[in-house]
Amino acid sequence: MKPLNSSFRDPSGYVFRQGDDILRTVNHSYQTDYDSLMPKLYPALTEAGLLIPHIEIPFDEVANPDQYKLIQPELIPFISYPYEWSFSQYKDAALTTLAIQRKALQQGMTLKDASAYNIQFHKGKAVFIDTLSFTKYIEGSPWVAYGQFCRHFLAPLALMSYHDPRMSAMMRDYIDGIPLDLASRLLPFKSRFRVPLLLHIHVHAGSQKRHADSEKSLAKTKPKISRAAMMGLIDSLENGIKKLRLKTNKTEWGRYYEETILSSDYLQKKQKLVSDFIKNTDAKLVWDLGANDGTFSRLTAKKAYTIAFDIDHLAVEYNYLAIKEKGEKNMLPLLLDLTNPSPSIGWNNEERDSVFQRTHPDLVLALALVHHLAISNNIPLTKLAAFFAQLTSELVIEFVPKSDPRVRTLLATREDIFPDYTQAGFEAAFSDYFTIQRHEQVEGTERILYLMKT
Amino acid sequence: MLNFILLYLDPGTGSLIVQALIAGFLAIVFYFKMAKNAVTDWFAGLLGRKKSEDELTKDETAQ
Repeated sequence: MKPLNSSFRDPSGYVFRQGDDILRTVNHSYQTDYDSLMPKLYPALTEAGLLIPHIEIPFDEVANPDQYKLIQPELIPFISYPYEWSFSQYKDAALTTLAIQRKALQQGMTLKDASAYNIQFHKGKAVFIDTLSFTKYIEGSPWVAYGQFCRHFLAPLALMSYHDPRMSAMMRDYIDGIPLDLASRLLPFKSRFRVPLLLHIHVHAGSQKRHADSEKSLAKTKPKISRAAMMGLIDSLENGIKKLRLKTNKTEWGRYYEETILSSDYLQKKQKLVSDFIKNTDAKLVWDLGANDGTFSRLTAKKAYTIAFDIDHLAVEYNYLAIKEKGEKNMLPLLLDLTNPSPSIGWNNEERDSVFQRTHPDLVLALALVHHLAISNNIPLTKLAAFFAQLTSELVIEFVPKSDPRVRTLLATREDIFPDYTQAGFEAAFSDYFTIQRHEQVEGTERILYLMKT
Repeated sequence: MLNFILLYLDPGTGSLIVQALIAGFLAIVFYFKMAKNAVTDWFAGLLGRKKSEDELTKDETAQ
């Protein structure tokens, strides 16, 4: 079995795909820790919804002499990465990791790594997916994953809070988290007046610089940290993260509300049409591209797991907060810039998949999107049609003509170099790949909604 | 005490040493919080109110 490209660092076991399932091997080298985890800590964490549940399945012991167990974790419908999360998603991922570390310490175990990639969103909540990250806690020893936690969680969250939520994009460049010396330089001076940030970013960065000569420093100091100090450390990180807030001004937040109210009639008519278009679909995974606050994603989420992608951080944030409030389990809002989608990154450029290398959708919604791509970003309709055909076999797409007020605004400040951007041109481009099953004008507008299949 | 060096990820020397540097401070803050919770819970008990939600951290001190 070939391990997944992301699964090579931990000698305790590896992850591989078998059909539609994801399986994880547990090697004999991890046996003691696995046996300590399972009786008490595992049920406590899975019941609290903090750790992904798994079942043990039989395997060929003769052919796999190093293997102790084979486990099958509950399947996560779509894998997401930290640079695709909104601020509150990121914050919940961090707090979940700390809650796990606290419960682990209670049971005499500790997290040996605290990577943000160990968190996924499942059934509307952040959940830890690396069952092999737990190891025995030795009283007096420091937290080995402390540096990683600060780089993967505290630094990006502090930068998002003090500057701009878009700072999370730095996680694309730094796969092992934002270096603390960089975070310390980027954060404003006033961040030093918050004790958790002062200690865990600024002082921490200084200590890393001073102790670059590792063996000598360690031999000299033999760092010891009591159990109370360890609990204090977790407390301090948690308090620091809880106090970080997203700076938003009311007008920005109000925009979504206002837009919805202004055009509620249009939205209702479109909702009715979309519901009608998707009533016979047997899609299992839906991508809503340009989902905004998820109004239309909620229609497909009634039938299939839906990823609500949007380029706007606040839209994703707003959607996630709504999901949390309503306890919705069947959708996941994520950040995505379609003109520069999440690339594959890491070792050999294959450790973390690009967004299109992950599970493909069976149905795509592209509502009020085409004019942004075709006109604002100069992407020819033929390229758009080819893109959608590569992605999905079923497409609900809205054509917004040049006469539409929104498109007129887009064209107001620039030369119209889009002679093919017409209903006929749109249909011709998409007919190369799709069969148009239905098309209806959204009442009261000149916009046309299409249902297409390959 | 240095068996963490055998871990598969490099924890970073500076990240280990800084914990020892700030440990005293963190422990004091932690004990102070526990004491505060104990007092709050005692009063809450008198008034028949719900106890503080810091059960997890409180269990720790009992061990």
